[in-house]
Amino acid sequence: MVKISLKTLKNKAKLEVEKAATSAELNEVFNKYLGKKGEITLVLSSLDKLARSKRAKIGKEANEIKRFLQDKINEKKFSFFSGASSKSREEWLDITAPGKKPVIGHLHPLTLVRRKVEDIFQSMGFSIFECPDMETEWYNFDALNIPKDHPARDQWDTFYLKNGLLLRTHTTPGDPRYMGENNPPLRIIIPGNVFRHEATDASHEFQLFQFDGLMVDKKISVANLKAIVGEFFRRFFGENTKFRLRPDYFPFTEPSFDISISCIFCRGKGCPVCKRSGWLEVAGAGMVHPNVLKNSGFIPKEWQGWAFGFGLERLAMLKYKINDIRLFRSGDLRFLQQF
Amino acid sequence: MELTFSYNWLQSFFEKRLPKPEELADVLMMHFAEVSEIKKKGHDFLLDIDIKPSRAPDCLSHLGIAREIAAILNIKYKILDTKLAGDKKLKAKDFISIEVKDKMACPRYTARVITNVKVGPSPKWLKDRLIVCGLRPINNVVDIANYVMLETGQPLHAFDADKLEGRKIIVRFAKEREKIVTLDEQKFNLDSDVLVIADVKKPVAVAGIKGGKFPEIDNKTKTVILESANFNLRVIRHSSQKLKLKTDASIRFEHGLDPNLTEFAIDRESYLIQKIAGGRIAQGLIDIYPRKVSARIVKLNLNYLESLLGIKIAKNEAIKILERLGFNVLRSAANSVSVRVPTRRLDVSLPEDLIEEIGRIHGYDKIPAVFPISSLIPPKENLDIFWENITKDILKEAGFTEVYNYSFFGEKEAALFGYKEKELIEVENPLSQEYQYLRTTLIPNLLKNIEKNFRDFQKIKIFELGKIFKAPSSEKRQLAGLALGEEFQYLKGIIDSLLEKLGISGVWYDEYQATPEESKQLIWHPKKCAEIKFNNEEIGFLGEVSPRILDELDIKGKVILFDIDFEKLSQLTSEEHEYRPLSRYPSAVRDIAVLVPRNVRVAEVLNKIYDIGKELIRDVELFDIYEGEELPYGKKNLAFHIIYQAQDRTLSPKEIDELQGKIIKILEKEPEWQVRK
Repeated sequence: MVKISLKTLKNKAKLEVEKAATSAELNEVFNKYLGKKGEITLVLSSLDKLARSKRAKIGKEANEIKRFLQDKINEKKFSFFSGASSKSREEWLDITAPGKKPVIGHLHPLTLVRRKVEDIFQSMGFSIFECPDMETEWYNFDALNIPKDHPARDQWDTFYLKNGLLLRTHTTPGDPRYMGENNPPLRIIIPGNVFRHEATDASHEFQLFQFDGLMVDKKISVANLKAIVGEFFRRFFGENTKFRLRPDYFPFTEPSFDISISCIFCRGKGCPVCKRSGWLEVAGAGMVHPNVLKNSGFIPKEWQGWAFGFGLERLAMLKYKINDIRLFRSGDLRFLQQF
Repeated sequence: MELTFSYNWLQSFFEKRLPKPEELADVLMMHFAEVSEIKKKGHDFLLDIDIKPSRAPDCLSHLGIAREIAAILNIKYKILDTKLAGDKKLKAKDFISIEVKDKMACPRYTARVITNVKVGPSPKWLKDRLIVCGLRPINNVVDIANYVMLETGQPLHAFDADKLEGRKIIVRFAKEREKIVTLDEQKFNLDSDVLVIADVKKPVAVAGIKGGKFPEIDNKTKTVILESANFNLRVIRHSSQKLKLKTDASIRFEHGLDPNLTEFAIDRESYLIQKIAGGRIAQGLIDIYPRKVSARIVKLNLNYLESLLGIKIAKNEAIKILERLGFNVLRSAANSVSVRVPTRRLDVSLPEDLIEEIGRIHGYDKIPAVFPISSLIPPKENLDIFWENITKDILKEAGFTEVYNYSFFGEKEAALFGYKEKELIEVENPLSQEYQYLRTTLIPNLLKNIEKNFRDFQKIKIFELGKIFKAPSSEKRQLAGLALGEEFQYLKGIIDSLLEKLGISGVWYDEYQATPEESKQLIWHPKKCAEIKFNNEEIGFLGEVSPRILDELDIKGKVILFDIDFEKLSQLTSEEHEYRPLSRYPSAVRDIAVLVPRNVRVAEVLNKIYDIGKELIRDVELFDIYEGEELPYGKKNLAFHIIYQAQDRTLSPKEIDELQGKIIKILEKEPEWQVRK
């Protein structure tokens, strides 16, 4: 009698576990059979009322059923927990379907590049100095040893304003401005908008973002310029970036250099971007001209230093392989949202 | 400036074969100047060399480039033949007299006379050289003048002696209303800023720029007067700008030329004319040269050389380089040299100039990269940039895209947005009307960004942090942004979270009271705009763009804008932030819904709730505003979650019920307010 009822109990319980569709139902099944007053529990707790001969056998059987049910219930619970019911093992998730991205905006590529430049130079002890977009003739030209009425001035096509100022053609006016108010030794970079009165095309723009750099101390040399500039370009474009200095001319530096880096597209082998030369012109530099030091209130014999300047658009175009400089100020979201 | 040079012509200066054109270009680029292009032309190659203004005085010529090549490659170049066979029976003075009225404008004027020339076509080799360099052959005398200019850099001119009136050449400034017709038949009105060459009656050439038609050399010309002069660079530059006339001659003069070059060039020219066009050279060089320019002496300290370049270059090596470049080393002490600079090198006057010469010929690639030895001065933190970066990051994270627009706008925008002439800074020489003024606001360009993008994007959220400008001469940073396809509350929420993350508290929104004299009033929707205020100071605006402007710009949809004075905003920022202890006691939420007239402000309701609850209310959230047909006319329903919590105890349900009851009572005290239960 007991034996039959135990077997029946087992089958009944098994069926109910399988039928349970939610974890609440499963709990009910558990309580019904294995809870404090559950049917199996009752069998086990009433063992001592049985004859000694039957006790061991029934006890063993009941314990087996208990273990069996516990396993079944746990397995089912796990399947609820992990979301896959034992019935639908074939269910799957297409993990290649695109994720749902949170809506995050985009910083302008020039901001991204600008931050990178600022981080690199700040880590080498350079402070960031800013000065006005509207500039005087003095700081933009005269203080920088760019003579009036001289073709040298024609290198900077200038927007003049009716209030007597002009739009700075470079961020170099920051050099005499900073030197006029700070004592050497000094190390600065000067970011900002610059303006050139020229027609635009894929590689020319009338408003640009430029960085100048300046370091002045007792014994600052071309060798030091090479070290800092080399470090910058390696950190910016990658460890394998090479660079070279060639003679150039700027009225505010003497000697003056053109700085080119090894072409990042062809690694210097020659390609259309570098016009087969293997080199890309990216910056101008030189040793600060004694007249500029003088105009800034320094005694040229006591101090020497170097300065450099480069356009941020040029660096961004190389870094992101952008082929038209006008995109930066186009406000075109199809472009901006790629960054 | 870029100039074309003939490889074969350069080769003619050397016995030795030059490196191939590409290799020669490489050498020049590493030690002298950029070669932007090499073109093959017939049996010749053309090199486009970018001559910088500093080297224009001595390098806008084949001789100049040949000297550079010689110095770089350390080879010898040939001296040009100038040996003249003068005719003892003829005296130049008998043919012409010269008067220079302004010696500042014309520091030197040299002339020669050649009679019995046979004017005709030039020989082929000469024509070829002119053609490859972009000049058109005319006749042998004119061609030789041009040829010698390309050869030596000295512009030259030739007159038909018989066509000059009064056998006199006068160098003077033009008189008002004088006119001239140039060789190419262009007419120019002259004035007292323009220097001319004149005979006794009239101008016969624009000095240093172009010859006049009148005394031109033609096939009948028998006697020529050759001019080789030096003019003041600024005078020629002014004339050239005034007449809007740039020529091969004016370009050379406006960069400055060595006055000592005139004699060599005129002798070279005379030599070639006699050789090619025959004729008798009258004796005597006419030379008005009152103040002779002599060579500068520059002293160079070799320790300074090493200190500036960061490489030690042996004294012998330095001296050899200078001599290769044509400098004379006069004295040399243990650590310094005195150098005489050839007068053609107008660019060399300082020790630094000599250091550049030595450095570039020696090779900049030989200078090692050495990190500077310097005091460890930590960089100053730039707080302006710090807060700019944080602001941009917050807006980016809130879903906004950053734009960079031009710092200009046009008359159309100025008028549309109601800016008055006196507030604007006008560009003297704008690129176009679209960019006639410096922008006084970021908004017009942001609205233009919508025009650019609305076809591709239904929702647009953009911002810019940039400079704006105001007459007479101020500039400051402004932060503005807009959302297309969103509600006012959305952008207000963005501003609130921006302020929160910038550590700014105490900012409030005031209803915008447009004052008619303000330009800004035209931008905003008169009823849907708030002033953003700190204390009583306005720091910006938030609201809808006026429908008039949207109409004008043909923008469909609602545009919500914010426009904040970033200079003021960054004054209020703070990195300090204090943690508020978490209450150990539970909170309870009760909802309340109030039916109020439409014009009741949410802030009024909130204030009443907080007034009752005080510190026992942690927060009140507005979770619904509803206006609809089911509601009585002119009413809206506001629904709030009120979160009750005390710092020091668990609030009992009874206490909360009491508070809630008080709140309901206070709210219902208002006429027409009704708490919905």
